[in-house]
Amino acid sequence: MSSEVYTLALKSALQEIQSACPEVTSSFIFKDGEILAKTINTEKETVTQTVDAFNSVTERADIIGGLESLTIQGAKGKVNIAVMNDFHMATVSSKKADEKYVNTLTRVLIPIVIKLVEEIQSALPEQEEITKYDEVATGEPEPVEDEITEGIAEELAEEIVDEAEDNENEQPEEPEENTVTTELYEEPEPVELEAYDEPLLPEPPVTQLMVENLGGLLVASDTVRIGQEVIDQWKELYSDKKINEVEVEALNGKSTRCKFKHIKKSKDLGKGIIKMPEKIQLTLEIVSGELVTVKPVVE
Amino acid sequence: MMVKKISQEAAPALVVEEDELLDSEENKSFTDLCNKLAEIRKNKGVIGYIIRNETSATIDLKETEKIFEYAIFSSQVLDSSQEISDLFELGDVRSVLIEGKESNVLCMNLDGNKISIFMEKDADQADILKKISP
Repeated sequence: MSSEVYTLALKSALQEIQSACPEVTSSFIFKDGEILAKTINTEKETVTQTVDAFNSVTERADIIGGLESLTIQGAKGKVNIAVMNDFHMATVSSKKADEKYVNTLTRVLIPIVIKLVEEIQSALPEQEEITKYDEVATGEPEPVEDEITEGIAEELAEEIVDEAEDNENEQPEEPEENTVTTELYEEPEPVELEAYDEPLLPEPPVTQLMVENLGGLLVASDTVRIGQEVIDQWKELYSDKKINEVEVEALNGKSTRCKFKHIKKSKDLGKGIIKMPEKIQLTLEIVSGELVTVKPVVE
Repeated sequence: MMVKKISQEAAPALVVEEDELLDSEENKSFTDLCNKLAEIRKNKGVIGYIIRNETSATIDLKETEKIFEYAIFSSQVLDSSQEISDLFELGDVRSVLIEGKESNVLCMNLDGNKISIFMEKDADQADILKKISP
């Protein structure tokens, strides 16, 4: 999935984060032990050793069900390595850094860049060969193409940083609460070149919703209720396709497919909730108040 | 007026080796931390803890059959964290928070005592950190 444009976009995004927040002294992204992108001032050797040390922890993390994030608080600063699906994003910040601001930038910007680049790639007529960080850093790509892709990547990263900053200014506290947010950590799917004969469907949007109990005598135990605004989004996206089921995934990794209907009560609309019967909550091992991600199953 | 009689005889000097003094301080620190951890252990969501220094160790975990795995993991976390901290010149590691898919772990190195507190995902780690910190 990684390609030149991919690496350039991530690299630009990392540089933009550092420009927006100088307290971030170093950052890099790696996947399966391979460095995908890093800030200019970050030594490759340092990154390699960090990845090795991190992998040593990951290898023994079965006892806690696998590792999601590691935050080291040192005397002079902090290191955070967070797992974003298949990617690992490491951020090193000084003591002065505003943790919330850094998290907003990194945990929002990077997944957006990944998602956008995937979308751009899927729209490209030819799939590029997989290129590792080293090859991008040391290789000699066609100058014109490189200029264009780098330009796009930088523009993209700048725009997203601006958006992230705007969001930070507008909603400084609990920005995720009671809002319908599109899940940013979408599973990247490989682009199959053979599939170009058939019309490509857009990737199902993943929406994060808060669980509320759904009870009553006439309630079907295999059906959840979702806000009409979310269903409308899906209909708009897949106008001629049937969507009869949704895939609901809890933060603990459990997922299930179920039928869905729209929320009836007007007071519950636009609140970013999903009404769920107890049976489905048990399947997902969750309770009311927890967050789940929902995506349509397109037939 | 009563006058307290002070003996002029010199009391025998108590000779304390420096190492012994350090040992005693370490033991006191270890015992204090053990007491704090025993209190923290009662908190909702705390699965257990491991504390060890060069001479002693105390382990209190719900899943006794997994003690070995917990011990290896916490040791690895502290070692790797110090390694990473050194790479970025961040000085001594004060605390490490590991968020797992099923549970979280808070690791610290206080006065040579290596501590790992295992907790449920919903446990208040900030409160636990506050309680254990000097």
